[in-house]
Amino acid sequence: MPDVADPEQLPVQQARAGDPAAWDALFRRYQLPLYVYVFELTRNEQTSLDLVQETFIAAVKNIGGLRVDAKFGGWLFGIAHQKCVQRWRKKGGWEILLDEIPESPDEPENRPDDLLIRREQEAEFMHQLNQLPLSHRSVLLLYFVEDFSLEEIARITGTPAGTVKSRLHYAKKALRTLLEAKNENAP
Amino acid sequence: MKTPRDLLLAQHRAAEPRLEALRREVVQHCREERQVAVRGMNFLSLLWRELILPSRHLWAAVATAWIVILLVNLSLRDPVPSGPVKVYAPAMMSFQEQQTLLNALLTDRSSPADIDRPKSFTPRPSGERFAVKTA
Repeated sequence: MPDVADPEQLPVQQARAGDPAAWDALFRRYQLPLYVYVFELTRNEQTSLDLVQETFIAAVKNIGGLRVDAKFGGWLFGIAHQKCVQRWRKKGGWEILLDEIPESPDEPENRPDDLLIRREQEAEFMHQLNQLPLSHRSVLLLYFVEDFSLEEIARITGTPAGTVKSRLHYAKKALRTLLEAKNENAP
Repeated sequence: MKTPRDLLLAQHRAAEPRLEALRREVVQHCREERQVAVRGMNFLSLLWRELILPSRHLWAAVATAWIVILLVNLSLRDPVPSGPVKVYAPAMMSFQEQQTLLNALLTDRSSPADIDRPKSFTPRPSGERFAVKTA
């Protein structure tokens, strides 16, 4: 299983020079996480594959726009997010990503790995993830799948960092409550 | 126990063969574009190697000569008149009139106005023209 990005090891510089082997390595690293992100937002397999392909093509075409090599992952997810928004905009439903929620109270930062899911909770976790509003799900997926920072998530989704923080707070709280409730009910 | 990341990736691992195919397709496209670019570069480098590099001193001399010619040409060029159209002096005008009169006298015209006046011609039937000639 691929580890969360170690930007120093990614051959972004070679990819900039147009090296196909470097692109292959980069896409191999990100193809599944990117697909997971897009699929969990669109809930359609073919649409997700199309969007991942469009994201890859756009990345090859626009690599000159990437300023910092270490931010490649966030940049790639940003393209994918934009592709999703464009797709929703065509269908007239992209406002669902723009809902506003109140600021969250300050809480100590914890890691995505802090939330551990038992085998019997897996299905319920996925179900509850899909119950979350799209804007919360988007933030939570970026946090879980690639461990992006608040600033990176804000950049990818094009929302203020405060909003991202709020969404993340409420989404995590909702999931935790659910999982704890399930644990208490468990025999 | 799984982390959310492990669980999410595991849930979608079935899509990997299609993602692999998709990736190969994009990389192949990328490779083809690169080959086209390299071919273009090859032609340029061939030109450079075969045409410019062997006689680079000669090319440099020719380029310098052209630059010198261009500079000399620019420095010798007359300044472009920027003021209004020239008006001839009255003396010049009277001299021109005298010349016109003299020309008229030499060519046996009664007055200089004849020179400019267009000849009148009235078309007539050919029979009438013949009568005029014989009269």
